[in-house]
Amino acid sequence: MGVLDKLRLDDVTAIVTGAGRGLGRAMAVALADAGADIVVTARTQAQIDETAELVRKTGRKCLAVTCDVTDSASVQAMVDASLAEFGRIEILVNNAGGATDGFGNSLEAITDQQWRVGIDTNLTGAMYCSRAVIPHMMDRADTQAAGGKIINVTSGFGLRAGRNNFIYTSAKAGLINFTRSITMTYAPAIQANLIAPGLFPHDDPAMTEWWRGGKFVPMGRLGADEELGPLCVFLASDASSHMNGQILVLDGGGLAGGHAPTGFAPVVELEAEP
Amino acid sequence: MTFRPDFSLGGKSALVIGASTPLGRAAAVALAEAGANVAVATSTRSPREEVSANSCANEIWALNRKGFAQAIDAADESNVEALVRRVADELGQLDILVNAQDLAFAKPLGQISLAEWRRVLDVNLTGVYLACRAAGQRMLAQGNGRIVTITSVLGERGMANGSAYCAAQAGVLNMTRALALEWARSGTTVNAIGAGWTEGMGILADGEARQQLERYLPYKRLAKPDEIAGAVVYLASDAADYLTGQVIWIEGGALSHV
Repeated sequence: MGVLDKLRLDDVTAIVTGAGRGLGRAMAVALADAGADIVVTARTQAQIDETAELVRKTGRKCLAVTCDVTDSASVQAMVDASLAEFGRIEILVNNAGGATDGFGNSLEAITDQQWRVGIDTNLTGAMYCSRAVIPHMMDRADTQAAGGKIINVTSGFGLRAGRNNFIYTSAKAGLINFTRSITMTYAPAIQANLIAPGLFPHDDPAMTEWWRGGKFVPMGRLGADEELGPLCVFLASDASSHMNGQILVLDGGGLAGGHAPTGFAPVVELEAEP
Repeated sequence: MTFRPDFSLGGKSALVIGASTPLGRAAAVALAEAGANVAVATSTRSPREEVSANSCANEIWALNRKGFAQAIDAADESNVEALVRRVADELGQLDILVNAQDLAFAKPLGQISLAEWRRVLDVNLTGVYLACRAAGQRMLAQGNGRIVTITSVLGERGMANGSAYCAAQAGVLNMTRALALEWARSGTTVNAIGAGWTEGMGILADGEARQQLERYLPYKRLAKPDEIAGAVVYLASDAADYLTGQVIWIEGGALSHV
């Protein structure tokens, strides 16, 4: 089997949470492009219906089912519906998350409720979804090398801090070691890896403006959602069959630096030798 | 029974290589203040270095400690070995080695000559190996020792134009961890201090670069060389007996930054 065959996802079913827009939509379409049938899920029906249309255009089957990942009963119903539709789940992409109420607040200004909602959305949701699919993946692993792959979407802010960025950084950092603990517990039956995207404005002009068009990113531009798709396909495919517990950062070079401003490039000659 | 940490270095002998750098000098003075006798070595590159070494030695003598200053090529095997012998001869033993060799250099990769690349690696990385080997021979024989290597955030993160320097500093970081494991049962600990952007650092070169950094850093200022003093003394002391293979970052929050 050639390497391009290994990157195919034919006859595989993938769940993508937060798939109504942005990175989740891009990953869902990319997985479908590679051959997978997709369960697209998010809270808003109209948005997942749009994503489902894009998935079906690739020729793959798609189930669009609403789910609030912060509600474990809602998550269980979504996973049950997925199994009823496709009979199997090989891939789970925990992508749901993002800035919640209170994002950018100083610590004194964060309410208990804001903290809980932010942690639930960005960390607990991935736990609920993983917990719901792992028994099925473990069952599958009895007959195959790996029963499933979990791909968790963290952030550059899971690895580094930000001023007045308490809720999101804490949840995303938590997701990293949550993922590694899945690795320690369920390897080799289940593979769990992380994607850490850098700055992706999702075609939102306000975000593009806020991030100055990517002027401070080493590559000089922000990320396009579609650029995350191939990385997701790689982690979902047999091409990454021995990767486990790893973080793949896709950020235009941002985290390679981060101790000095972008563009900081002094020139210092050696002193003359005697 | 309470554990009373002993940070005092009274009766111990130290060698600081690279004592004309701001951080090396700060380390040398801190060790002397904590009670150690301190030999300092600087580069043979320029007369300015010798003046700097002598003034550092004067500070050590002013604290009533023994010590001497010597100019060496930190990348020269026989220079380094002779220096370590002299420390043992004149100060009676060698308990603490501080590696602060620092040859500043930054250039676009395409313009770096092989000779420049080799020189940067020779001083900043091979120099640490030579010093660790020469000092370690004595430390392993006497059953105790402390090695503290000053490295940089540039060993952990990249910088445009920094390929040679960053490679050397990263090498120093992981050599520290490897050597710590190798000598973990010998009584000799091997640690590093990861300095942030510090006043007087050669790699900073011009004033504009400095202002850029000051705007960027969480502290809104560069580090002062003396700000590593506490960590140097702690790592060199008996209070840090069980600490090895670690990097203590003193960088004003720079590494927390996205």
